[in-house]
Amino acid sequence: MIANTFFKETKELFREGRVRIAFIIVVLLLSLAIGISARQYANVNAQYETAKSSERALWDNQGEKNPHSAAHYGTYAFKPKYPLSLVDQGVDKYTGTSIFLEAHKRNEAQFSAATDQTGLARFGDLTPDFILLFVIPLLIVLLGYNSFTKEREMGTLTLLKSQGGTNWRWVLGKWLALFFPIFAMTTILFLVAGVLLSGLKDFGVFSWKSLFAMYLVFLAYYIVFINLVLLISARVKKSGVSLVAALCIWIVACLGVPKAASNIAETKHPYPTRQEFAANVLADKKEGVDGHNPWSKEAKLLEEKVLKEHGVDSLHQLPFNFDAYRMQKGEEHEAEVYFKHYNYLKNQFSNQSKVYKSLAAISPYLPTRFLSMSIAHTDYATHWDFADAAEVYRIETQKFLNDNFAQNSEYGNWEYQAEASFWQSLPVFEYNPPELQEIMVKNTSNLFILGIWLFGSFGVLLLSTKTI
Amino acid sequence: MIITNNLSKHYGNHVALDQLDLQVKAGEIYCLLGANGAGKTTTINLLLGFIAPTSGSAFINQLNVHENSKATKQFLAYIPENLMLYPSLSARENLDYFSGIAGKKLSKSETSNFLEEAGLQTEAIDKRISSFSKGMRQKVGIAIALAKDAKVLLLDEPTSGLDPKASNEFGQLLQKLREKGVATLMATHDLFRAKEVATHIGIMKDGQLKQQLIASDISLQALEKAYLETMSYQILA
Repeated sequence: MIANTFFKETKELFREGRVRIAFIIVVLLLSLAIGISARQYANVNAQYETAKSSERALWDNQGEKNPHSAAHYGTYAFKPKYPLSLVDQGVDKYTGTSIFLEAHKRNEAQFSAATDQTGLARFGDLTPDFILLFVIPLLIVLLGYNSFTKEREMGTLTLLKSQGGTNWRWVLGKWLALFFPIFAMTTILFLVAGVLLSGLKDFGVFSWKSLFAMYLVFLAYYIVFINLVLLISARVKKSGVSLVAALCIWIVACLGVPKAASNIAETKHPYPTRQEFAANVLADKKEGVDGHNPWSKEAKLLEEKVLKEHGVDSLHQLPFNFDAYRMQKGEEHEAEVYFKHYNYLKNQFSNQSKVYKSLAAISPYLPTRFLSMSIAHTDYATHWDFADAAEVYRIETQKFLNDNFAQNSEYGNWEYQAEASFWQSLPVFEYNPPELQEIMVKNTSNLFILGIWLFGSFGVLLLSTKTI
Repeated sequence: MIITNNLSKHYGNHVALDQLDLQVKAGEIYCLLGANGAGKTTTINLLLGFIAPTSGSAFINQLNVHENSKATKQFLAYIPENLMLYPSLSARENLDYFSGIAGKKLSKSETSNFLEEAGLQTEAIDKRISSFSKGMRQKVGIAIALAKDAKVLLLDEPTSGLDPKASNEFGQLLQKLREKGVATLMATHDLFRAKEVATHIGIMKDGQLKQQLIASDISLQALEKAYLETMSYQILA
C-alpha cells in the first residue's frame, strides 16, 4: 500500500503542469545560483591568493629596518574562503576578509564584500543557500498543500476509506511521494556541488564528509517542512485554506522568526557602539604600561621592578634593550585589554545565540541555518575563531619583533635595524578552521532542536492522520 | 451478509436513523427508497463504519461493523452517488491503485478483464479518467468491486445523473453481481430502476423503514403508489 500510494502520487505530481513548471523554475534558479556563486567564489579566491602572496612579499622584502617600525608597518591576516561557502555564504559577505595586524592595536576584519556593493545589493543575491533555505521549502508547500485536501474535495477519500487500507501506510505513501522529488533534487544539487568543489584547485581542502553532513541537515529541514505541510493538509478541509496556512508557516518560519530573532537578540544583548568600544579600550589601556611612554607611572614601576630583578642600578646595565622590553610589556597589557573587551563582545554574541536557539523551537529554519553556516565555515563563530587566531598571530609577531629588538640592541638604541633576511623568518599566518567533529559538538543544541522538529513533526503527522 | 439490528443514529435531538432492522442475503439486491433525509445515506455510512451508531448494531458477513470496522471493509465495495476517481490517472491505473489499497495486486491482464467485465470499452481502459463520463466512472467503480471480490456492495444513488442507457447498463452489471452471490444494498430515488434490479425494496421516511416489499410481487405502479402513500403525498389522477 505504501509503494502503491507512492507511485500513484508521483504519477499525479508529474502529470500536473504546475509541478513541472515549479520544478523547471527551481532547477533553473539553482543552476543560475550555482553558476553565479562559483564565479564569485573563483574571483574571491584568486584575489585572496594574490593579496596573500603580495602582502607576504612586501613583508619579506622590507630590507633592513627597526623591528618596531616593522611592527607599525604591519601585515595582514587573510581569511581563507572555504569550498562549502559556495553552497552557504553565511555571514561571509558582512564579516570582512582580512585583518590588519600591527603593534599596540587589535583591528577588526575589513573589506567585506557587502561594502563593495551598491545600494542595489539590498535586493539580495541569488545564492544556493537562498534556494536551499527559502525556495525549496516553498516548493514543498506548493507540491504538498493539497495532498490530503484534494482527496476530500475530489471525493476519492470515501472510496479510499471503504477499501479498508491502513491510514499510516497511506500517509507514508503520500509522504514518500512528496519527499522523493525533494530528495532527488537535493541529492543532485549536492552531487553537482561536490563534483564542482572537489575539482577546484588551491582553495582549501574540500571535504565530502562536510558536504554530506550539510546535505543531511538540509534533508532534515525539508522533512520537517514536508511533515508540517502534510499535517496541515490532513487537518483542514479545503485546499485553499491549506495553501494559506502552509504559506503562513513558511513566512513565519523562514522570514518572520529569523528577523524577529535578530531584533530580539540585539535588543536583549546589545553590542556596544564602535565609539563606546574604542573609549572603553582606551580607558583600560591607560591603566597599564604604554610601550611608547617611558615616563608614565606604570613604566617607572616596571623599570624599578626589572632593575631590582637583575640587581643593577641603570637600564644601560641590563643585558637587553629595555625600550624593547617595555614595548613588549606594553603589548602584553594591550593584548589583555583587547582580550577582555573582545571577550565581552563574544559573551554578547553567545547570549544572542541563546536567544536564536530559544526561538528555534518555533522555526526549523534557525537550527538549519546555524548548522549549515557552521559546516560551511561561514558563521560568526568561525569568524570569531579566525579573528582570535589572527590576534594570537599578532601577539606572537609582536613578541618575535620585540625580542629581536631587545636581544640585538642596547637601551636607548632606536637606530637598531634588523637584517633584511630577518623578516622571512616570521612564520606565515595559517588558519585552520574547526573540524567537522568539533563543529558538530559545538552545534549539539542545534542538532537536538532540529532532531526534535524532525521526529516531533513526523510523530504528530502520523498521530493526527489516524482520524482522517 | 448484511444485517442491522435496531440500528439508530442520533445527531443531538435529530433522529437520522431509528431502529432499523434489515437483512440482505447473498444474491439479493435491496433497494432503499426514500426522500432526501430519510436515512438512506446514514444507513450506508453506518454499514461502512464511517460513523458510529447511537444504538443497535450492524453486521457485514457476521462481523460487527463498529467493532471490526477494518475487517468488514475487506468484504464490501462502495460506490457513491458521484464516484470520483483520480482524473490524471487512467482507468487501469485507478483500478490498480484502489485494488492495491484493498491489498490486491493485479496483473495487467487482470485489470483489463475486470474493466471489460464491468462494461468499459477496451479502448477506454488506458485513457485518463478526466475524459470519462459519469457512467464510465461508475463502470470503473464496479470493476473495483469485482477486483476486490466483494461479497457486499453498498451503492448510494449510483444511477443519479446517468442517462437511461448508462443506467440500464449499470442495472445489468448489478444483475451480474447478484448472480455471483453479491449482496447489494442500494439507496436510490429511482423507483423504476429499483423495480428493475431489486429483489427487495424498502421505503424509508424520517429515519424509519416504513415498508419492506418483495420486488417480484409488486408492479411498478403499485410500488409508486406505496411510495407516495408512505411519503403522505396526495396521489394525483
